[in-house]
Amino acid sequence: MTATLTPTPQREGARRRSPLAWLARFQSVLGLVVVFVGAIVFSPTPDGEIIFLSGENLTNIVRAVSEIGIIAVGMTLVILVGGIDLSVGSVLSLAAVGSAVLLVDNQLPLAAAMALVLLVGLVFGALQGAASTLLGIQAFIVTLAGLSIARGLARLWSGGQAVPIAYGSGPGEAPIAFSLLGERTFNGIVPIPALIFVAVAGGAIAFLRISAFSRHVYAIGGNEKAARLSGVPVTRVKITVFAVCGLLAALAGIVHAGQLNQGGPNDAIGYELDVIAAVVIGGTALSGGRGTVIGTVAGALLLGVLNNILGLNSVDENVQLVIKGLVIVAAAAVARFAPRT
Amino acid sequence: MSDSAPLVALTGIAKRYGGVQACRDIDLTVRPGEVHALLGENGAGKSTLMRILSGDVTDFVGEIEVAGQPRRFAGPADAQGAGIAMIHQELDLVPALSIAENVFLGRELRRVGRLDRRGMQQRTAAVLERIGVRLNPARPVEQLRTGEQQLVVIAKALSLDARVLIMDEPTSALSSSEVDRLFDVTRELRRDGVGVVYISHRMDEIARIADRATVLRNGETVGTFDPRTMSTAQVVEAMIGRPVQSVFTTSDVERGDELLRVEDLAVRHRRPRPGRRDPDGISLTVRAGEIVGLAGLLGAGRTELLETLYGVGSAGPTSGQVLLGGDPITPRSARYALRNGIAFVPEDRRVAGLVLFHSVLANTVIASLGSIGRLGLVSARRERRAAQDSAARLGIKTAAISDPVDTLSGGNQQKVVLGRVLRTQPRVLLLDEPTRGVDVGAKAEIYELLGELAGQGLGVLLASSELPELIGVCDRVVVLRAGRSVADFDTAQAREADVLAAAMGEQLTGATS
Repeated sequence: MTATLTPTPQREGARRRSPLAWLARFQSVLGLVVVFVGAIVFSPTPDGEIIFLSGENLTNIVRAVSEIGIIAVGMTLVILVGGIDLSVGSVLSLAAVGSAVLLVDNQLPLAAAMALVLLVGLVFGALQGAASTLLGIQAFIVTLAGLSIARGLARLWSGGQAVPIAYGSGPGEAPIAFSLLGERTFNGIVPIPALIFVAVAGGAIAFLRISAFSRHVYAIGGNEKAARLSGVPVTRVKITVFAVCGLLAALAGIVHAGQLNQGGPNDAIGYELDVIAAVVIGGTALSGGRGTVIGTVAGALLLGVLNNILGLNSVDENVQLVIKGLVIVAAAAVARFAPRT
Repeated sequence: MSDSAPLVALTGIAKRYGGVQACRDIDLTVRPGEVHALLGENGAGKSTLMRILSGDVTDFVGEIEVAGQPRRFAGPADAQGAGIAMIHQELDLVPALSIAENVFLGRELRRVGRLDRRGMQQRTAAVLERIGVRLNPARPVEQLRTGEQQLVVIAKALSLDARVLIMDEPTSALSSSEVDRLFDVTRELRRDGVGVVYISHRMDEIARIADRATVLRNGETVGTFDPRTMSTAQVVEAMIGRPVQSVFTTSDVERGDELLRVEDLAVRHRRPRPGRRDPDGISLTVRAGEIVGLAGLLGAGRTELLETLYGVGSAGPTSGQVLLGGDPITPRSARYALRNGIAFVPEDRRVAGLVLFHSVLANTVIASLGSIGRLGLVSARRERRAAQDSAARLGIKTAAISDPVDTLSGGNQQKVVLGRVLRTQPRVLLLDEPTRGVDVGAKAEIYELLGELAGQGLGVLLASSELPELIGVCDRVVVLRAGRSVADFDTAQAREADVLAAAMGEQLTGATS
């Protein structure tokens, strides 16, 4: 029982007021602004019009990031408790396949099919959370296994082939309402998936602000032992968080199926990396206890704008990958020097 | 042999940490083939002195002579090169590596560029044999019991050709047969002419093994004695030897009904955790309005008792019982304990008490969110008011309650923990070393708060290593030794010496027990 206190210098307090710290606090939003301005500058301008800023292009960006963004909200929670979920891409694919098969082959009513698919994601996530917490296995390993399992289930369920979705009321046709996911609303400007993303993110931000649950999430990621000694139900909270992440991955899978009009068992491979990148660019610490959903939304949009402007300029896809990687490192470097608030 | 020239001579050693004079003018010699015990209360300067001797602390005043030659160590490696090795309380072993790999860690033997596993194992086996230990050098250290690990550390030190071996409380986590083993090895070393500096609080051990004993107090040498002719009482007086400070305010509150009763509590751990001393026959009571102290040496089981009462101790079948307000309870989680009105301030607030980079506010309210909101929702305004309320009540000095707690001083951090714990409205408050690393002013404030809480009818159980604190703050002191409760003193009559003697295993005459 010797004193093992190693007093750390209190420079963090002093740093808090430095301009760099202030900058770092809003790093993801500022990063988004920087990339946005850059995109305006580098936008192709045929006929003097800045294509990047056109309403259609901007809404396209939001639509393009909606799947990643929806999952990233769940991933933020998982990373906040100090976990990680590598299975989300596979779960997305499983849910997309599930939507197609249940609607087309099984002719389930829309609401029943959606509820079932969401339930699959929820249970899959909860099982991963339970395996991690109750068996004491690192989330990285459990969800690495989950990545493999969900992918396998998706292929088994679909018979290894993408399941096409045709709309109508006859046999082998899905309810037309499902095709709304590929549509736009508000005079054909706002894509439905973008709306879902905004709703999920807004709901999560509001919930985190007012719920006791979110305080528990941050405390567990910050110091699990202290949280447990404070009476926080650590196991329950962690399982819940993994369940929510699975649920949101399944929701993204439904959106995916609706946009592409099919359920592809080989879709969304590697999505988990884009999702984690969005969360990290958003300033959430992989060590847990530190981060925001707002940051994650900004991170996802930043990646979307980047992809969009590189695409508009027809930059080589492989070069795009390199640039994306460099942005992630830059974001992490800024976060490294960020104040610990 | 003990009259030969000293292996090491320390002369006029002084060291200051900021405003604290840890050592002033200390002399110490270690002769070949002697076991030299170093005694003193916490903060007497033992650790600092040994860190200087082992090269860990390099800026100090005074002289070190090794075999008659003045030396100034640049670091621990330099001291090891001069034949001085220290065995720390926390065993610095890599659990997944084998015994041989640990012994040769950082200076692995190579043959033609490749690791010479067999060579290392043979040399390790030879060292182990020298100290009479039969262990396979290829076994991973994590498979060994704590006592065996202790012997591996000694083997490692010997393989460095250490002439002087410093052992810092080596027996605190050992069973009695392992202690016997360690002493056999120590006698073996003594025969080989190694000088051993032995830090311990246990008088019986020192009487068994030491040839000389030097007592330190407040950074100064009190004297060097022959431990075989000296009584425990004399040693204890030499260690304390100062008027008890009167920063304490003992509560003279009416003591109420019995709140907490522990009857012959024992935990048979299912999976023993190394370095732990689980309750093995503890009985005590805490009444409303009473502050009961928990005394005991390092490894006596104070922390483990508090953790067991809070439901976060070792898992395993329990015998005896715990009664809260007369009803038997089985604490099985922190949530359960909190719901039943038992709160706990853990030993190391940085490790177990706080989320250091979170705000004062977040740390204050985390245990009592249920009372701040309802249906799982929390109002930010009420949360803020609750935290401000706690900060004001406990006098937490912080620029803003949104500041991260690690910008606060140790005393204010501890007050944040106390504030959080009190927001759960406990009936029984368990505290483990609540004033460690806390400045004198904040200490006094914490004592005052404890008195106030007792006045409101709380029962307080306070574990501490500081005797003046226990005697000064508590109404009664229960002494633990090796997981058992061995004495129960009324502090109106007991002296520090009585408590210390009971903790060390020797009952002085005149003690009420």
